[in-house]
Amino acid sequence: MLGYICKYAPVEVFASMGVQMERIEPDVTNFNQAEIRMHPNICSFAKGVLEEVMSGDYEGVILTTCCDSIRRLYDVLTEEFPEKFIYMLDTPRITKDAGITLYEQRMKEMTRAYEEFSGRVFEEEKFCEYLKGKEEEQQLSVKNGAVNIGIIGARANESIQTILKENGANVAFDLTCTGLSRKILVDESDVMEGYTRGLLSQFPCMRMEQAANRDELIRRYVGSVDGIIYHTVQFCDNYAYEYAWLKDWLERPMLLLETDYTRQSSGQIRTRIEAFLESLAPEKGRAEKRRKGDGAMYVMGIDSGSTSTNAVIMDQDRKIRAFSVVRTGAKAGVSADRVLQEVLEKAGLVREDISWIVSTGYGRVSIEFADENVTEISCHGKGAHYFNPKIRTILDIGGQDSKAIRLSDTGEVKDFVMNDKCAAGTGRFLEMIARTLEVSLDELGAIALTSKEKIEITSMCSVFAESEVISLIANNKEKADIADGVCHAIANKAFGLLRRVGMEPEFMMTGGVAKNPGVVRAVEEKIGSKLYICEEPEIVGAAGAALYALEKYGA
Amino acid sequence: MWIADKYIDHVKEQTAAHPGESWEKMLLGFRLNKLRTKVLPKKGISKGYQKLEAMMMSFVADSLGRPDSYVWGNIFAPCELIGCFELNTLSIECLSCYFSGYHLEDFFIDYAQNTGIAPTLCSYHKIFVGAIDSGAVPVPEYAVTTSLSCDGNLNTFRYLEKKKGVPFTFLDVPYRDDAASVDYLAEQLKEFAAELERRFGRPFDEEKLRSAIRIENETRKELMHFFKLQSERYYPGELISHLYMMMGMHLLIGTQEFLDLIRFMIKDIQNYPKFDGKKILWIHLLPFYQETLQSYFNTNRKYQIIASDIIIDSMEEMDGTKPFHALAKKIIRNLYNGSYSHKAEMVGQLADTLKPDAVIQFCHWGCKQSSGGSILLKEKLQELDIPMLILDGDGIDRRNSHDGQIKTRLEAFLEMLESGEKEETAEEKQKKIC
Repeated sequence: MLGYICKYAPVEVFASMGVQMERIEPDVTNFNQAEIRMHPNICSFAKGVLEEVMSGDYEGVILTTCCDSIRRLYDVLTEEFPEKFIYMLDTPRITKDAGITLYEQRMKEMTRAYEEFSGRVFEEEKFCEYLKGKEEEQQLSVKNGAVNIGIIGARANESIQTILKENGANVAFDLTCTGLSRKILVDESDVMEGYTRGLLSQFPCMRMEQAANRDELIRRYVGSVDGIIYHTVQFCDNYAYEYAWLKDWLERPMLLLETDYTRQSSGQIRTRIEAFLESLAPEKGRAEKRRKGDGAMYVMGIDSGSTSTNAVIMDQDRKIRAFSVVRTGAKAGVSADRVLQEVLEKAGLVREDISWIVSTGYGRVSIEFADENVTEISCHGKGAHYFNPKIRTILDIGGQDSKAIRLSDTGEVKDFVMNDKCAAGTGRFLEMIARTLEVSLDELGAIALTSKEKIEITSMCSVFAESEVISLIANNKEKADIADGVCHAIANKAFGLLRRVGMEPEFMMTGGVAKNPGVVRAVEEKIGSKLYICEEPEIVGAAGAALYALEKYGA
Repeated sequence: MWIADKYIDHVKEQTAAHPGESWEKMLLGFRLNKLRTKVLPKKGISKGYQKLEAMMMSFVADSLGRPDSYVWGNIFAPCELIGCFELNTLSIECLSCYFSGYHLEDFFIDYAQNTGIAPTLCSYHKIFVGAIDSGAVPVPEYAVTTSLSCDGNLNTFRYLEKKKGVPFTFLDVPYRDDAASVDYLAEQLKEFAAELERRFGRPFDEEKLRSAIRIENETRKELMHFFKLQSERYYPGELISHLYMMMGMHLLIGTQEFLDLIRFMIKDIQNYPKFDGKKILWIHLLPFYQETLQSYFNTNRKYQIIASDIIIDSMEEMDGTKPFHALAKKIIRNLYNGSYSHKAEMVGQLADTLKPDAVIQFCHWGCKQSSGGSILLKEKLQELDIPMLILDGDGIDRRNSHDGQIKTRLEAFLEMLESGEKEETAEEKQKKIC
């Protein structure tokens, strides 16, 4: 079995020789080996392939010179596996005749090298027959009655398609390198040349000179779908350029989704995709009404976050009957049970009085008593609109992530961005720094307001920032000034997120960090505008979830 | 605060508040700095490095002052060929460094990232994209880039073509080093020359290119001679001096002016005392702003950077009779192209000639080709018995370099070198006694 990774790899040449060809799709839990052999800052896909080849049973791997990370992957693989057929196929970026001639020549050299390695023989006639048997697959399949999604960008593993299908969305097209069906040209007068021409005339990837044509092709495709998922891989920078360009003119909702090819990020990916689908199709089916004996109806929203679990009970008139906030323990389910008891007690109700419960937040799927779950992004949108209908932009800084959400005048989510797998700019980061400064989290915000000297924390990584803070302490800097510097560092991160969704006033801040006056002041300075903060900023998500539950009843 | 610092802060503030309205001020600053390097050269560094700095300041300030006098390129663009049309090549990497002279790197980087450019992209590219996209810096008529070494090249130039309408020639550099690759690239270079003829209305004279190649061959030979001398004599310079040298070798190579400078440096260095500290061969970029590295390598008698692979990334003599093929071959055989074993081999050759005590590789944030091979290079150097240190950081964005980490690693490494030497001396003594 030979592994390959790229759509420009001449898979059919080997297949016609009877070789089993396997497209390497890394499904790994960590990069332990790859980070020893390569470097942490290499494209996650390349690291994943290295892990996969080290644990898999490949006779060899066919690589193409697609990018810098793959070039280095080749170097490491040849070093690690001198006995395997690790081949680097020099793939031109120019698809005109000169490129075709060169590529054909390169493929012939590769075939000879493999014949020598394996003892198998390549026969052109067999190859031609093999190609004739191949049929081109349909590239576009729009389904009526479903939300149609197109995927563009860097190679994407199957999890994105799986999540979309689980949520009832139809993948109308997948223009990433892995999603495309092959283009086979059979020219019997010159089989190899025709085949090469076909390979190089596939939908161009970003490394190809012709990638400029992508705009036109994408324009043609996107007209038929409701939304686009633009996928990028961590440490692969090529596709972000296209995202930056498309977002200015593509007239379709677009979600930027970065993945890193490990299983750890699946929760984050799910939240983003589901929130995106919710923003495209806000209408859902209605449930059967269940009312308390006196005719009143109550619903509950419960937001299971990394730091706190929050619950809100609302009546049919959209009035909050009671709310409760508890710290999230090691198990999301246990904290949810606790908050359920607490909020019912406060409201003077029992579980049976609640008609419908919607859960949200990272732990939303672990809450067994919930009837339905909705992502915290949609819930924050709805909640923010409930508290103040003038809000168009929300900044939510929670324990483990931060996000910016843009709303329409009716409170629908129009766009959102989230920070990635990085603690910088989150509540966790503040906790870390508070610990280092030996103050409580509450004090941190308060003392920041008394700062006299401006200190800039330059490190963008929370781990580096922490050691920067330690150096500042060692230099006898005042705690208040350091605290203020940290608040500004968070504000800078937040500003980046807000810029990316568009800075439409008015602004609201939600999440636990909204209670920190130091951060609030720093964000306000940075955006040059006031932030609206409701009395209990931690329950905005739960209130939104309760509103979703009411909508279920048409209330 | 110095007047210069005040001016820098003023321009920085102006640019961040109203990008596009401060260009004339930025330009004036470059001109003043050019004047400063001529009239009041930096004290404490050798004459050769003073002259080199002045030459590079003039080159950039003069080019930027005349928008029709230059094209944008990347650092591997064939400046010899572009020079045949009386055009300068301003590489985007070097321009980013110059913009950071106004401490604008964070503003430009954030600007690019906020439009959606990947945070993990090389900071030189992010700065350049931010500078142009924000409108702070005007654009020229034409550009050229190669695919050599960096994925960012094609994408940055294509992005700016779309957003700012700067057309460019793309030179696809094949990975393999063989005759077919050379023919393929030579053809593209010929087409590029024809394109420049059309665009700038100036005829191409092949003899000019031949002459540039003759000078280039001579320059490379002389530079190697200078490096040998620099491994024997203390020739005070700064981290940034090596970047200027890299600029010269990529943007002014093939000019008589630059050859004359190297010849001057060869003469000048002979007036300096013998160097008996640690000789460092530097791999990849030099973070010129980094405090700890500055304190160890700016005019330090104990530690001297004697050469860097980014300065001399191609080492062979070029065949002046077939100038396009010679250029193509030079680009393909560049140590940043092809496999890492090719690079390791060339670094090995350099080490063989210059006999450094140690090698330091700086893994620049976002540079996959450099970081990804650093461990392989370390293994290769271990075979040659040369200690190597890998430092992580950012060549230009100080927010990605952590001084504490760099300091600890560097100092431990230097301590290791010192103690290694002591052990060796003790062993030698032992042998003598025996």
